[in-house]
Amino acid sequence: MGVDFLIGLFLATLITALFTSRLYRLIMWYSLNSLMLGILALLIGQELGDTAMLITGVATILIKAIGIPYLLKYLSQKFHFVRQIQPEVKVHYAIILIPAILVFTFYLAEPITHMIHGNANYVAVSISSLFLSLLLMMEHKNVAPKIIGFLSMENALFLLGITATDGMPMLVELGIFFDLLMAIVVINLLFHKEEVKS
Amino acid sequence: MMPTLLVLPALIMFAVSFVKNDKAKFWLPASSFLILLPIVKLFLLPKPYALIGNYLVADRLDTYVLLVSSIVGIGVTLALLTLDKHVKVSQKAYRRFYRFFAIFWIGLTLSILSNHMGLYWIGLELATLSTVYMIKTNHTPAAHKEAWNYMIVGAIAISLVLFGIILMYASAKPILGEEAMRFDLLLAHADKIPSPFLFEMGFAIATLGMFVKMGFFPMNLWLANIERASFYPVAALFSGILESAVIIGFFRFSQIAEKVNYAHLFGFVFVYTLLTIFIVSFLIFRAKDFMRLFSLSGVEHMALIALFWVSGGTFAALLHFGAHAFLKPALFLSTGVLESNGKYRIAGALRGYHGKKGQLFWVLVSLFLLAIISLPPSPMFFSELYGFGAMIDTAKQSHHMLAMIGAVLLLLILLSVIFYRFVAVYQSMKYEGKTEEKKVYGSELAALMLFALCLIALLLPVSIDYLHTIGQG
Repeated sequence: MGVDFLIGLFLATLITALFTSRLYRLIMWYSLNSLMLGILALLIGQELGDTAMLITGVATILIKAIGIPYLLKYLSQKFHFVRQIQPEVKVHYAIILIPAILVFTFYLAEPITHMIHGNANYVAVSISSLFLSLLLMMEHKNVAPKIIGFLSMENALFLLGITATDGMPMLVELGIFFDLLMAIVVINLLFHKEEVKS
Repeated sequence: MMPTLLVLPALIMFAVSFVKNDKAKFWLPASSFLILLPIVKLFLLPKPYALIGNYLVADRLDTYVLLVSSIVGIGVTLALLTLDKHVKVSQKAYRRFYRFFAIFWIGLTLSILSNHMGLYWIGLELATLSTVYMIKTNHTPAAHKEAWNYMIVGAIAISLVLFGIILMYASAKPILGEEAMRFDLLLAHADKIPSPFLFEMGFAIATLGMFVKMGFFPMNLWLANIERASFYPVAALFSGILESAVIIGFFRFSQIAEKVNYAHLFGFVFVYTLLTIFIVSFLIFRAKDFMRLFSLSGVEHMALIALFWVSGGTFAALLHFGAHAFLKPALFLSTGVLESNGKYRIAGALRGYHGKKGQLFWVLVSLFLLAIISLPPSPMFFSELYGFGAMIDTAKQSHHMLAMIGAVLLLLILLSVIFYRFVAVYQSMKYEGKTEEKKVYGSELAALMLFALCLIALLLPVSIDYLHTIGQG
């Protein structure tokens, strides 16, 4: 029940992020999305008695829900980003498009859900989150929301890892975190020239 | 000890990148040669050889790919010495380029040697991210835009690969547990995977990610645009090292998919690669500069390698892969000199060379240009013969012989279009346009000589035998 509620919130935060037109608000929705993911990992990890997943959950909350949003806000202040980020897809089209993506992914994932034990429907949610993150990347011209789309995509994959496989090996999850930090370093370097332009 | 030695040249490069003395870069080509010592040792050791537990394991296939990509790394470090003679680059950006090149090299060594899907992905992601900055070393608006493009499209491609890996892992986890990440175990238990559909879906998605990364349909131009916007060594690294790591992933995944359902694997890759070559051949015909021409030709060759591999032509695929990995970086590195008088000046690009260095340069570039279109005795000529032979052999075992003959004929027509374009470009380079003096430096010539020697070595009986043994298992 708790897991269902959190998965719902995970999806809800991502959907809300798609309608956001302010940068800091978008960062906040990303942070909440990551927080839901971290708590989910903690809940499922506790259910399965999987210490690695518990560690991953804590790392997700610390790095993705607190660290990265803080850093993104710091970078956007440092490089004076435009904070008004109007999505290119108009709200009335997005209202039709997002449910269509959700229905389509549930249909797409239908044959897979029969093959996965346990949290089968969550796989469909992970896939739809992946498509929604792609939409987030596509619907903005500015660089910062595109980065948040990329980070949300990582969250969607992480959710898939937790739900479809009952957790990836610890080594892989740590590696993904390391790559995420590396991505932030590279993004920081790229921002040096971006400045007010975007 | 062995893993440390394998990443030592990259670590030295990383450390040297912090030294502010401009002369320090001259240490790098010498130190990069050091990587050959552990690789030679790896060739002599019995295979499979565990480097770090079951995570990094050297077998015949990855030792070969590692050797090829390391030679490309050495060649690029040699050519990098004179980068500032051909393009405008600040010393700070130069040092940073080396720093990210080192991270890129470490990431790809990890990917090539990994026996673990997760580690493979981590190495690939590390390399993808480090490339972003290498593209941006060129301080132009176009390079800046392409760096972001690479960051975003590269991230999507790499996410698709991870997505596929998770599904493949999920398909085999019920029987293998956490060990379902290991390539060797997956291969050994491929016929026992409880959800073959899930595995195949994961394979298709991961392959799509890898194909996008190599510039296959529908992303045929994204790599060409990026390589055009960045400095020429980036393109050499893409074609020689990054694509090696991507294609070895495809080899590994497809070996398992072959055991799960060969007909599905073949059908999927066959249609995809044919479509890619069809589009790319026309794009090559319209290419108006060296970078795009070579980049698109790279997509064509990677598609051929994938096609030969799934057709059972392991030897053909590996020979083609080796030849392409040496030829394409050599051509990309030579663009630094060829484009001395402008990006779009193909006419006369092979004229205006004086002295022994100049003479040797144009002879080598001419040979590389003719070798890339598979003129004998290029290794690509033999690999294509074997590859098409393998395709016909595959068709003999099915009821699609006529369709396969048709496909081979279509491929030959498309390859003829590419052949025609390259010959026209060569003639324009040699016999048209004004003669303007161009300067060739010793280090870049040394890089081209290295690639030429390696191409000859590929045709030695000992190399041929080695490649045959990989195919036999």
